[in-house]
Parts: sequence; C-alpha cells; structure tokens
Amino acid sequence: MIIFSERINGMYRDVRGAIAECNKTIVHDLLKEQLVGGADVIDINIGPTKGDAVGNFVWLSQTVAEVTDKPLSLDSAKANLLVEVVPKVRQALPKTRLVINSCTAAADYMDKLIPLAVANGTGMIGLTMDQEGVPGNVEKRVECGATFLMRALEAGVPIEDIYIDPIILPIHAAPKQQMNAVEAIRQLAIVNDPPPQFIVGLSNVSQKCPYHKLLNRTFLVMCMAAGLTAAILDAADTDLMDAVITAEVLQGKQLYSDDYIKAWKMQKGLA
Amino acid sequence: MPVPDAKEKWSGRIQTVTIGATPAEGGTRGRTVTIGGQSGIPLLGFDGEMPCVPAIAIDVCDKPPLDWPKPLAEVYGDVWSDPAAWAKRAKELGADLINLRLASTHPDEGDASPAQAVETVKTVLKAVDLPLVIWGCDVPEKDQQVMPKVAEAAEGENCLLGAVTEGAYRTLAAAALAYKHKLITLAPCDINKSKQVNILVSDTGFPLTDVVIYPTTASLGYGMEYVYSILERGRLAALSGDRLMAQPVILDVGYETWRSKEARSGDEAAEALGPAHLRGPAWEAVTATDYLQGGADVLVLRHPKAVEVVRNWIKEFFV
Repeated sequence: MIIFSERINGMYRDVRGAIAECNKTIVHDLLKEQLVGGADVIDINIGPTKGDAVGNFVWLSQTVAEVTDKPLSLDSAKANLLVEVVPKVRQALPKTRLVINSCTAAADYMDKLIPLAVANGTGMIGLTMDQEGVPGNVEKRVECGATFLMRALEAGVPIEDIYIDPIILPIHAAPKQQMNAVEAIRQLAIVNDPPPQFIVGLSNVSQKCPYHKLLNRTFLVMCMAAGLTAAILDAADTDLMDAVITAEVLQGKQLYSDDYIKAWKMQKGLA
Repeated sequence: MPVPDAKEKWSGRIQTVTIGATPAEGGTRGRTVTIGGQSGIPLLGFDGEMPCVPAIAIDVCDKPPLDWPKPLAEVYGDVWSDPAAWAKRAKELGADLINLRLASTHPDEGDASPAQAVETVKTVLKAVDLPLVIWGCDVPEKDQQVMPKVAEAAEGENCLLGAVTEGAYRTLAAAALAYKHKLITLAPCDINKSKQVNILVSDTGFPLTDVVIYPTTASLGYGMEYVYSILERGRLAALSGDRLMAQPVILDVGYETWRSKEARSGDEAAEALGPAHLRGPAWEAVTATDYLQGGADVLVLRHPKAVEVVRNWIKEFFV
C-alpha cells in the first residue's frame, strides 16, 4: 500500500494556524509523526486558509520538503488553483516527485489538468465523477474512472502514476455508496492490464462518527480486498497502520513472519 | 501472433556475501568466495543478472565419521582421522569452500572442549587456504561455549559460521559480529520462521547483509520438493523487495543425500537400484543440480563424482 498522509491539511485547525503564522515547527512536528507512522507520500492541502492561496500552497510544500524528500500530493478541488500552484512547486522543488490531487472526468477539468501533469511530470489522482457530480451507483463510477484513465494514458502519464479515486462518502449521509465504491474498484481493476493505482480519501467515510477510527480501519481493509493500492489517511494512527500491514500479509503481498509488523517497519527503515 | 514479453520487473535483488579474506583483507586465504547478487529468477538470463556462480563446499569433519558408507570411505577413509589432510583432499577435489563440522564437540560424540575445537580450526586454516564454513554440533548449550572461541581464533578470516535458530541466536550472532564473520540463520523447512530468525538476528545489531539462509535440506525422494518450494517462495519475496529474505542460501546436500537408503545401500541392492558406486554420487548430483535451479548459492557436497557433475553443470548454465 502507498500511504498518503492526510495530516498536512488546512482543514485541521493546527495546520491552518501554522499557515496563518508561517509557523514551520508545527508542520514539521506533525510531519515527523506521519513519517514515523509509515507515510510514503505527503498530501498537502491548504484548506480554508485566508490570504494568498498560491503563496500558502508553495510555502506549505517547501516547509514539508525541508524535512523529507518523499513525494508530495498537491490537493485542491480547484483546477484553476492547481494550474497556478503546480508549476511554482515544480520550480521550487525540481527533484521532488509530485501528484496532482485531483482531477474529475469532466472534460474541462481534464483539458486543464492532464496537460499540466504531463508538462510538470507529475502523477494524477482522478475522481470517478464528472460535471454531474458524484455518481450514486457503480456503473457511472466505472464509466468516469475509465474515461479519466484512458485520457491520462493517451496523454502519456505512466500507468503506475495514475490513481483512481472512487469517491468515499460519509456512512451516515450516504450508506449505500461505500459498497458502490468498493465494487467500482473491483471492476476498474480489470479495465487495464496492468491496472492503475486505486486510492481513497479514507477519513471521509467516518466524518462526524464517534467510532471514526474503527470505521476507517474496517473500511480500508474492505477496499484493500477489492484492489485498493493507496490511501490518504492518518499514518500516525497505529491501529490503522497495523490493519494495513496485516491485510497486506493476508493478501500475500508480504511474507508472513511472527513479527510481521516489525518486519514491515524494518523494510521501510522505521524500526 | 506476437509472442508476449514474459520478462518480469523486479524491485529487489539478492544481496552478495563474501566469505574468506586474503592477506590484503586481513586474513590468510588464497582467495575469497562471493555468492548471491541475483536480480531475477534463477537461470532466466533475460529476467535479471546472475553475477556470481554457485559455490561448492566439501565436508570435512573433525573426527572419523562412523556412518559414511563405502563409496565415501573409499575417497576419504585414509584422511578422515586428520582434519588437515582431509581439508587438503577436499581442496584437491575442487572445493571452493571447506565445510568444517566440529562434530566431536557433541556431548555424545566425544564432548571435545572449546580449546580442542579451536586447535582443529587453526589446523585446518593452516592446511588449506580456502575460505571456511564452520558448524558446531547442533547442541545449542555446547555451541554457545565452542563457537565464540572458534570465532575469536579465526578472527580476520571472514568465515561463515553456523547456525543460529529462533531459540538460540544471541551468543553466536554476538560472536560473529565481534570477530567479523558471516552468519548462517537456520529455520527447518519453514519460510515464515526463516524470516523471523532474520528479524531476531537483525535485532541484535548483526547486519542482514552478512547473513546466509539455511532452510535445511531434503534429498531427492525425501521431500526435496518442500525445500525447493521454500527456495522459490523466498526468492520471489526477495525479488519483490523483501530485504529480510534477500540473503543467499546454503544447502547441506551431501549430508542429506548420504542418509538416504538409495545412496547408502550397497551392491546387495544393485539389482533393483543399480551399482552402489554410481548410485550414491548420482543421487547427490541430481539433488544438487535440482536445487541449483531453485536458486541455491552454496551446496555442501561429499562425493567427488557429484562435485564433478555439479561443477560441469554450473559451467554449462552459469558461466
């Protein structure tokens, strides 16, 4: 599993405060927890921060890159913001691998963001939705995912850098959409050989739920069984990371040993 | 119809391990032996590299073996009460490594002292300039007394010391680390335990890059397929990036082969099984060459005819 850290996100009050005050220490401390937990990619989202959005985005990216050379996922729903931010981050951090998070399967989004990815040598996360919004069924998700995948492949984005996100909705708001997302992963995994990456924004499933951690780790394992290869999550949640590692062992992706959790950490240089 | 490209893209690689040290490297060996380094499935040249060829170690015991059958007695009987002479014979027969077994230290086989074991090792080191693989007697309490002394006496020679297990690993790992030897990790026919022993050894601070895996061995007709499948699974895990399984493998083919009734029985069984002087060596050679296809890196052998067949096989397919 490719672990995207969700924690450097302005939706969190501490990160929003850090951006407002240009306080690097807060960001660095949070980041270290994510790295120790096993994060492979750092998702960067400025959230509802006030002020210069482009400047904040570049500052947050550079602040993260002071601590780690791991890839960054530049996260915004605003295509126009990404069009401005991606070249600036690319220029500021020429050696860092980047992922654009995210693009929908709507034509105007793809027209802007896919050439941006190619021009800046980034990966891409494609949402299985278009101008009509989030689909309420499996079929439309698969259709959108396949459309995005084909467009990105044709434009020259390598298959291993294309992530399909079947869009996770909160369980209390949309109780049928979790299994629809799981089924969409299963069906999209056979659209192309080799398949692209599949990613979820995990915490969406448990928004405003008291047992959010249990919901997160249970749902993540269900998605992994369907073919999930990446997730945006809190890598400092050790129970969650232990569930990821255990599921990988049960899938045969890691060779079992009695200390398999430690073995996983040793492989990552974390133990 | 186009032929599909079957080439695999592997992210991992077997690590290389060098045994022995020349005078320039602080030892007294005439040459060193390097094993491992494969970046693909064994013998699939298009799949990856095989930078090192498998090495042959020949058995030398520190006391006359009581149970070696006639075809082996004919080769070694005149030297087997003298480990130095025996080691020279092994070198003449084309060994890359001497596989020295300190069998006499076993409490039931003479209970030789650590000091006596040290003398044996020094004698063998003086007699031949090949790198050494050194095994205790497989009784952990005794090995923990003997092997640290042996490791100390052979400091600088970069020997391969056997073997640590899940139940007993601290003492020997510490000795190998202190006196800069390589280490064999042993888990009988269990790949999951094999990984576990490597985790435990690594926890002691011993570098996994200095480890050779011994998954135990079975001869042809006695469960060889189990060990073969362990070799395959270990190699696939390593090539997929599992650094805890990326160690070269040593197999004790001679010992296991010459326990089988097919190799041991004499010409009284010739009518059904063929003449004894050919049967045992053939059994040993077939077992060994099968394991080479599974990715074995060091084969411990006994009979010169088996050594010759395996050597030719290696020349044919690896060089």
